[in-house]
Amino acid sequence: MVADWLIVGFYALLTALATGLGALPFLFVRSVSKRAVAYSNGIAAGLMLGACFGLIREGTAYGDWQTVVGAVLGIGFILVTERWLDTSQIGLHQVGAGRDGKTAKRMILIVVVMTVHSIAEGVAVGASFGGGMTLAAVITIAIFVHNVPEGVAISAVLRPEGVSVFRCALWSIFSSLPQPILAVPAFLFVEAVQPALPYSIGFAAGAMVFMVFMELLPEAFEDAPRAGIGLVTSVTLLAMVLFQRFL
Amino acid sequence: MTGPIDPILVVLAYGAVAAGVSMAGALPLVGRESLPIRWLGWANALAGGMMIGAAYVLSVHADSTIDLGLGALAGILFIHWVHSRAGMAELELDQVDRGESVYAYQVLFMGALHAGWEGMAIGAAAAVELRFGIFMALALAVHNIPEGTILCAVLRAQGVTLPSAAVLAVAVNVPQVLFGVATYAVLVAAPVAVPTVVGFAVGALLDLMLVELLPQSYRQAGKVSIALVAAVAMGLVVLMEGIFS
Repeated sequence: MVADWLIVGFYALLTALATGLGALPFLFVRSVSKRAVAYSNGIAAGLMLGACFGLIREGTAYGDWQTVVGAVLGIGFILVTERWLDTSQIGLHQVGAGRDGKTAKRMILIVVVMTVHSIAEGVAVGASFGGGMTLAAVITIAIFVHNVPEGVAISAVLRPEGVSVFRCALWSIFSSLPQPILAVPAFLFVEAVQPALPYSIGFAAGAMVFMVFMELLPEAFEDAPRAGIGLVTSVTLLAMVLFQRFL
Repeated sequence: MTGPIDPILVVLAYGAVAAGVSMAGALPLVGRESLPIRWLGWANALAGGMMIGAAYVLSVHADSTIDLGLGALAGILFIHWVHSRAGMAELELDQVDRGESVYAYQVLFMGALHAGWEGMAIGAAAAVELRFGIFMALALAVHNIPEGTILCAVLRAQGVTLPSAAVLAVAVNVPQVLFGVATYAVLVAAPVAVPTVVGFAVGALLDLMLVELLPQSYRQAGKVSIALVAAVAMGLVVLMEGIFS
């Protein structure tokens, strides 16, 4: 008989691996023109804002002001991270020579933001497994499918900058690793974790919204017509919202 | 004669409040010829953040996912089409250094169209639940103030007096009242259309915000401050709705 916590960890690991599937569409993306990069940023922005809509809805179900407090902390976290990246050369160098500081910073920030998002999701998934193992398969499938567009969002920023599809998939999976890592303790200590849920969900939402408004959208508007970016971002935001509602 | 107030009068009254409050946008210009350019950026970001917050709270209240999706897609595509047909898809709506009077008319026209779709959001919200419609009107009323500031700044640059600019800021929002009342009246008669029209309003608000408000704000103020203002404005609308409901 396999222990319940091992099952939770295994299911959560599967959902993390699903994020890597988000890189697959970029097997067919060849163009890396500035306009293509701009539209990719618009797509990533729309997907992330749509994910935020889902996060806010989930967080406010647990508590309104707690979610907002978490969001404020999330914004502060991204601000601090952004300032640190501005002054630190280590991260930028590791992202790769040949890229300007602004581009490298954006690439690092999106992985950071999606990792933060996965922390909140891991805690939420683990806590929800505590509601009964019979629901575990349904929850796993939902999160598995939900993670794919998140991988698309990450790959949409990394791929146009020349990162290989394989590395895009690896970075996407890396950003989701907090899910299995945190789902297990969240499941085991669900009663202790429950009060923290709206804060952690709000944290992820705030970080994501701030990242979109601070990095992705201004970059997108620089190199493509704003009507086109508005259209692409609105449609992908809508697609993500509908996707989450169907799940 | 006493009795409950007709809900359509409630929609009219709160829509009128939302339109009238835009006059307060003239206050930062009292005693000044112009505003620092970054103030206009922050005003755009504040208005934009509130719009995306309004779009979020509307989307949560749509019962049918399919109708929400179809309506929102129609709203996005329709606004995109209007921008392209009007030939003003790339028109900057807040340039205070353009002296041509035709520019002022373009800004007023786009402002009136913009207000119309916001009125649709008020009417659709009221059709979901009257209380929610009142919230939407009040949220858009607050949103109208920074938009009024931007409009007054543009009109002042054209030589319009401040009192006249304030009146024009209200006039531009009259479509908000008319669209709000008309949308509510239609949806009361055809409640099956509520989720679709709510969706249309969601899509319209999103595209309007992304095309008309956010892009120029980044030019006017740094992207960090714009991101902060927009994110906080969005969060405030979400919080207000939670408290209100």
